[in-house]
Amino acid sequence: MKQERIIHGVVASVGTAIGKAVRTFDPLFVSFNFKLRPDQVRKEIERFRASVEKSREQLKRMQSELKRNSGPESSFLIDAHLLVLQDRLFVDRIIEKIESDYINAEWAIQQVSDDLFQAYDRLSDEYLRERRGDLDDIVRRLLHNLQSKPLPSFKKLPYEAILVGKLVPPSTLFGLRSKRIVGLATETGSPLSHTAIMARSLEIPAVVGAAELSEVSSGDLLIVDGERGVVIWAPSEETLAQYKNRDRDGKKLKKKSGAFASAPSVTEDSVQISLGANINFSEEVRSAVAHGCQFIGLYRTEFDFFRQGKQPDEESLVADYSLVLKSAKGAPLTFRTIDVGIDQKSWDGVNMNLGVRGLRFCLENKDLFKKQLRSVYRASVHGPTRLLLPFVSSVDDLDSAHAVIAEVQAELSARRQAYDPHVPIGVMIETPAAAQTCDLMASRVDFFCLGTNDLIQYYLVIDRSDQSVVHLYNPFHPAILRCLQQVYSLLRPTGKPVTVCGEMAADPPSAAVLLGLGFTSLSVSLPAYLRIKRLIRSVSMAQLKDLAAQILKMHKPKEVEEKVRATVYRK
Amino acid sequence: MKEREVVIGHRLGLHARAAARLVQLSSQYKSTIILFRSDTTKTVEADARSILSILLLSAGFGSKLSVRAEGIDEDQAVETICQYLTG
Repeated sequence: MKQERIIHGVVASVGTAIGKAVRTFDPLFVSFNFKLRPDQVRKEIERFRASVEKSREQLKRMQSELKRNSGPESSFLIDAHLLVLQDRLFVDRIIEKIESDYINAEWAIQQVSDDLFQAYDRLSDEYLRERRGDLDDIVRRLLHNLQSKPLPSFKKLPYEAILVGKLVPPSTLFGLRSKRIVGLATETGSPLSHTAIMARSLEIPAVVGAAELSEVSSGDLLIVDGERGVVIWAPSEETLAQYKNRDRDGKKLKKKSGAFASAPSVTEDSVQISLGANINFSEEVRSAVAHGCQFIGLYRTEFDFFRQGKQPDEESLVADYSLVLKSAKGAPLTFRTIDVGIDQKSWDGVNMNLGVRGLRFCLENKDLFKKQLRSVYRASVHGPTRLLLPFVSSVDDLDSAHAVIAEVQAELSARRQAYDPHVPIGVMIETPAAAQTCDLMASRVDFFCLGTNDLIQYYLVIDRSDQSVVHLYNPFHPAILRCLQQVYSLLRPTGKPVTVCGEMAADPPSAAVLLGLGFTSLSVSLPAYLRIKRLIRSVSMAQLKDLAAQILKMHKPKEVEEKVRATVYRK
Repeated sequence: MKEREVVIGHRLGLHARAAARLVQLSSQYKSTIILFRSDTTKTVEADARSILSILLLSAGFGSKLSVRAEGIDEDQAVETICQYLTG
């Protein structure tokens, strides 16, 4: 029995999926290894024979050309290839494999050729050992020719599949689209790759850049967790049950999502809660609108900004942002300006948690910052737009940002370009400094966003990318509860609205704490949207206020968490 | 059944070109033709019509092989193939 193993990667498309690995054979060829249903075997053998036939024709043509151009000397090499194509040790064994193991031709070719390659590697004669190159050549030709015959439909796959490979080209993902493909996991790639974009638009959970996947073989059980950015290989019964539960729950919610989308997010005692969506990529806006989201509380623009691997020009940014606003169909959309830092270590691998990130980065790269601001303002004529500044740690930061915004507005006016001059400007409260001084910033901004992920890591001094301390990360720590309570009481007299958009808002127990502490506007990632809406509709505000008062007196995170869970899940 | 022992006379042994020619020759006969490596500790067997199995015999110059044929044309088959192998 294999041990459960967690393989770390990067989230490319949100959601979770459970399925068996269907592996690509070779990154050069778009081919996958998977099981067939017994009734597909005959067709698969025909498909294999057709590729053998096609390979034979190609080699014959090549041979006659060679004979014409360079004489018979080198054509014996082709003879050897042709003879492999009629070799029972090869062809017959592949057909037997397809028949006996119910596997597709690509997988059978791989198994038979692997055996032969091993036999070659054991030979002591170096010259003969080199002949494996010929076999390799034939294998590639066969695989290539199999591509011209369409892959058997994944619709008949006897299990739900997770595509696994070094890299899966976007056209493949699209070409293979089927309800049987439930997830995607790749060894390389980034959330900015076209494959990741395709996965998002097909709403297939995906994790990329998980190098250790190279050890996974076809048929292995996997869980793709596109919320944590990990792949769980050979999950234990316990883990599996946990995810299956969540999966079932998610499907149940999805079924009801039509009715749910239009249901108001109101507590049992009639307190109205604003519930919005966080998005990382422009493609998610459509889905957010379909979920019935009232607003997009956070659009993390850096992913789309660096999508092409280089900086986009202003015109294409304006076009992108206009499209995003149009697809939001009138729902207010908050553009958070570029935040490069934690969780995006792929930029250069440097831990930027305490360095130049967020607004600091933007102020140091003023041309880039101004370009993005101009684009947001120019697009703002297409729908209600809000602008959010990340990683602010002082009123000075804020004043510098305002000066840049004023410059941008003056430039646009001078260019006679249309924009909405009243775009609300907000600040992200995610540093301890901002949490302590948010009331001092209030007169300079229109709204606030509470980013709990970073706030918790800075308050508890935990680098979330450091495996040795990550277990200490805890939203139920009394320090966090006090911090949240303080922010709430500092902001309340200012009358400036605040939305919580961190992970705390996406998990029902911690979301209940936020509601109890008085926060009535939450913004969460799409997979969490329905479960948080259900939470809101099932609790009473009076009860949560009572809960908050009780947990604020507790000493230990564990006590707090147990109390909260008991209250939220007792129903 | 007919069987005879030969010593490989090709300078490079049964490499790709010789193996290919051997398969072509063997395919002209109706008999089943099998080659044995008798000079190794473990007996290795190859189908004379399978180029991959012939290559895996790894029979270099001077190595000893047994050629065994069974069928209506077994005599000619063994004769021709041994002649070819001795070079």
